[in-house]
Parts: sequence; C-alpha cells; structure tokens
Amino acid sequence: MALLNEEILQNVTEMLSDMPNAVKLVIFTKSKDCEYCPQIVQLAEEVAAVSDKVTVETHNFDAAQDEAAALNIEMAPAIAILGEKDYGLRFYGIPSGYEFSTLLHGIQKASVGISDLDESTQAFLGSLKKPVHLQVFVTPTCPYCPRAAVLAYEMATESDLVHAEVVESMEFQELATEFNVMGVPLSIVNGKERVEGAAPPEMIVKAIKAALA
Amino acid sequence: MLEFNLQPETKKKATSGDLYDVVIVGAGPAGMTTAIYTSRDGLKTLILEKESVGGLAATTHLIENYPGFPDGINGMELMERFRKQAERFGTELVEFGEVVKVDPRDAGRFEVHAQGGQVYQGRTVVLATGSRPKKLGIPGEKEYYGRGLSYCATCDGPFFRDKDVIVIGAGNSGLQDGIPMLDYANHVTFLEFLPTSRAERILQDRAREHPKSTLRFNQQVTEIKGDKTVTGVVAIDRETGEEQLFPTDGVFIYVGYSPDSEFVADLVARDKWGYIHSDENMRTKVAGLYAIGDVRADNPAQLSISVGNGTRAALDIREYLLKLEAEG
Ligand SMILES: Cc1cc2nc3c(=O)[nH]c(=O)nc-3n(C[C@H](O)[C@H](O)[C@H](O)COP(=O)(O)OP(=O)(O)OC[C@H]3O[C@@H](n4cnc5c(N)ncnc54)[C@H](O)[C@@H]3O)c2cc1C
Repeated sequence: MALLNEEILQNVTEMLSDMPNAVKLVIFTKSKDCEYCPQIVQLAEEVAAVSDKVTVETHNFDAAQDEAAALNIEMAPAIAILGEKDYGLRFYGIPSGYEFSTLLHGIQKASVGISDLDESTQAFLGSLKKPVHLQVFVTPTCPYCPRAAVLAYEMATESDLVHAEVVESMEFQELATEFNVMGVPLSIVNGKERVEGAAPPEMIVKAIKAALA
Repeated sequence: MLEFNLQPETKKKATSGDLYDVVIVGAGPAGMTTAIYTSRDGLKTLILEKESVGGLAATTHLIENYPGFPDGINGMELMERFRKQAERFGTELVEFGEVVKVDPRDAGRFEVHAQGGQVYQGRTVVLATGSRPKKLGIPGEKEYYGRGLSYCATCDGPFFRDKDVIVIGAGNSGLQDGIPMLDYANHVTFLEFLPTSRAERILQDRAREHPKSTLRFNQQVTEIKGDKTVTGVVAIDRETGEEQLFPTDGVFIYVGYSPDSEFVADLVARDKWGYIHSDENMRTKVAGLYAIGDVRADNPAQLSISVGNGTRAALDIREYLLKLEAEG
C-alpha cells in the first residue's frame, strides 16, 4: 500500500516541479531494531517517483561502513540529502507527520544550493572558520519542529562548514536521553550549546558563537 | 498508522511588490476561514504565518465539539483541510513569516512588515494572531523548559512513556491535552489553582474516572524543582497552607493564554489583557483593519467562534472594498 495519498503526492509533485539540480537520497537502513526502515525506503521511492530529478540509493548500515563514514553517518536509519555537492543535510529516523515537510524542504534546498537566510546571518556563516555541527531533535507530532529543522538545513546549505542533522527523537531515544531531550524542537550546537524551541536565526547564531568561543 | 503532513513554505512565492486585497496575519482557523471566503470571492488573498499552518488548533489531539465530525477529528488534520480549502481558491500562504509591524498608509493601503524584512501590501489587513500559552513566572520554569517542562503535550508528551507527569491547570485545555497522555504515561496528576475545574463536564469525568490520574484542587504551584531535568513540583495547598513536593518526571503547563497583539499595540484599542477590540463586523478602529478569533476581546476561545468571526470579517471586507472602489 502506498504511504502517500494522492493529494499529498500531487503537492509533492508541484513542490519538486521546478528543481534546478538533481538530488540523491542516500538511505542507510539496519537489519535489526528498525521499526520503520522499510517505510523509509518506500517513502523515498514514492517521492522520487514523481520527480525526474530525485533518485534513491539504499545501503545496509552494517554492511556499508565505508559509504556511511564517507557521509559522516554514525547511526541508522539515516537519510543523506545530496545535491550537486554534499551540503551536509541529514535526517535520522522516518520523516513522517510534520517532518515530511522537513524532508521536502531539504530536497529543495539541496537542489537549489542557495539559502534564503537574511544578509546578516549569511555574513556570519561566511565568516566561520571552524566546523559547526547542528543537531535538531524533533517528533513527528510537533508543528513547531520543521521551523527549527529547516533553519538548520538553511544554514548548512549556506556554509560548507555547517553540518545539519535532524533527529526523530522517538527512534533515537538513547541519543535523546544522552542530551536530556524532553521537549522539541531542541537545537544543539557542537554537542554543547542548546537552543530550545523554534528559535529565530539570531539565537542559533548566538549559540554557534558560544559553542566556538 | 503513519501520517504525512505537508507544510509547503510558499507554494507560490508571494511577492512583496504586489498589492493584495486582503493580507491575513495568522494561519489558524480564524484567518484561514476569512481566506476561504475572500479567495473564493475572487479577492487576492495572502496569509502570513509566523510558524506553520494551523495555530493552536493544530496542536490539539482530538477536537470533539466541532460540528460535522461525529467521531472527533485530530486538530492537525482539521487544519490541513482548512488550508487545502483556502489554497484551492487561490490563497497564497507564507509560513515562517512573522509580522512585526502593520503600517496604515493612504486610505486602502497597508504595509505589512515581516521579520525577514519583506514588506507586503494589502488593501485590508486581518489580525488573526490568536494567543500563546501563558507562563507561570515561577522559579525553575525557564531553567527546565525543554528539560521536562513543556507547554505542548501533543508535541512533547511522547517523551514520557511509562513516566509520571504533572499537568498544571485543569481547565479545558489542560484536561484535553493531558487526558491523551494517560494512554502511555505511568501516571498523570492534574494540579488546579481553583477549588473546582471549569472544564467541560465530560472532560472532568474522563480524568476523574481514569485509574492512572489524580486531580488535586486549590494547588498553588510555586516552584519547579529539578536536577538536570525536572524532578518535582512544589505547591501550596490554598486551604491548609501546607507546602508539598510532588515528585515527577515531566511538567506540562496549561494556565491559560495571552493574546499575540503587541505588534499592533499603538494601532488598535486593546483591553487590559491585550485582546483587541473589534465591533460586530470585526472592524477595529482603523478602517480596513480587522481583528478575529482568539485575539479578539470578549471572544470565548472556541474553534467555531473563530470560524464565525472569520466569515463575518470576510463579508465586511467585500462591502468595504466595493465602497472604496465606488469612492475611487
Ligand atoms: C489544548 C487546547 C485544546 C483546545 N480544544 C478545543 C476544542 O476542543 N474545541 C474548540 O472549539 N476549541 C478548542 N481550543 C481552542 C481553539 O484552538 C482556538 O479557539 C482556535 O485555535 C483559535 O483560532 P485563531 O485562528 O483565532 O488563533 P490560533 O489558532 O491561535 O492561530 C493564530 C495563528 O497566528 C500566528 N501568529 C501569531 N502572531 C503572528 C504574527 N505576528 N505574524 C504571523 N503569524 C502570527 C500563530 O502562529 C498561529 O498560527 C483548544 C485550544 C487549546 C490550546
């Protein structure tokens, strides 16, 4: 049975209709302890089916260690969203519920390769000297979450030094517990600075500055 | 069952240069209802939404009193339908576009400033910004936000599977959002300031009769305690004056809502809580500027009322624009 109904598919088709560059979704599944792995692959294939610019490549995480390492992927299930180059957009878990939007925005970003950030945020990201690792914890039922997730993707698209991971907290409970995540969205910069809620770019910029200081 | 919801940021890119007949601030049920009417009526309609479509209603797990849905409907799903209906008639929608200023220029032209610096132009503007959860303003509230303290059970409830949670506030929203957590949490305790709950009878009964829930009244919460994350809630019993620590893993605060109207404070008349005054046609004191839904003064916060307001504003907008044109 299809995961996406006709109406959603039609919206997806429209959203992806004017993509300038090809996008590849590289998926890492696991054989064990992965409730939604088959659905993640199916979902990606359903999306790819409505756009001639989107392709899907699937690996088993346990077998394809080198491929995973090359994309900085340390856990599964994972989706790397790759455009003309790797902008550093990752999604961990299944992008269901509100997070389906995040996936599509990620695809659009990777295709366009240009962020929609305001000038001052762009200027700040342009001045970065050190790598920035953004992790955004989300749940599929949280309407505020895509805003935080998409902002992280914007920043990663803007700067080669920014890597943005969106993590579905229910599927990565150990990681969520490690970071004491008990509410979403939560953005974490370089494993230390936390920003709770769907914060504006300035607040993430501030957290990046603090993390790099 | 897996669900997939789409929130297209901007399906059609709204352009700042265009003059819209109607610019609506807020994509909750009120704003989207106006949009359904005005766009169906051929008026060029734009909605600017700070977060994502749906407003407060989208965070509600199950809505049981909105007519036409005998089995109740999930808030997010209902709001998706509103959006589709508005877009079907050509409404343009910009998400993540917070409005920071509304500037009335010549008669029949407003400039609406968004946070990113975009300026949209509208012949009329509808304020449908609703309200946001109130904070308690007690020690620990800020520190533990995101660390076990939350204002949205639909968003963050799933972190508390098999855990104990406390819901502060046993009014309609506290009960309505707290009750679904009984399905998976270990125990849910409701702490209410008043001696009784003002919530609908049916919700009170459900909470009372559930084996995993406790309702406590006359509880004035004074502090949120924690270590790395929330560990407890301190409350004073207003009858006995006794202070008690309620150990818990999570805290959800439902102590009412305050209106999102600061950005138009010097433009419209507001009551002492910040709710905007508008007349029975939803007009504020500025011609062409309307206020509807939860942000409107003396309005009970109910979906069907927001929808009614949205309709009323749309009908008046049509008259107003016709008159403007006649005056040329
Ligand atoms: C827990 C809970 C349960 C509820 N249950 C029910 C129920 O069962 N039945 C019922 O009838 N009602 C219920 N309600 C009430 C109902 O949700 C509200 O009455 C309704 O959502 C109000 O609609 P609105 O459009 O006025 O405002 P909202 O739904 O609050 O929408 C306002 C929108 O405006 C946006 N916004 C705010 N400021 C700006 C800005 N500056 N720029 C751009 N956008 C902005 C917000 O992000 C939001 O999306 C419930 C409410 C809660 C909290």
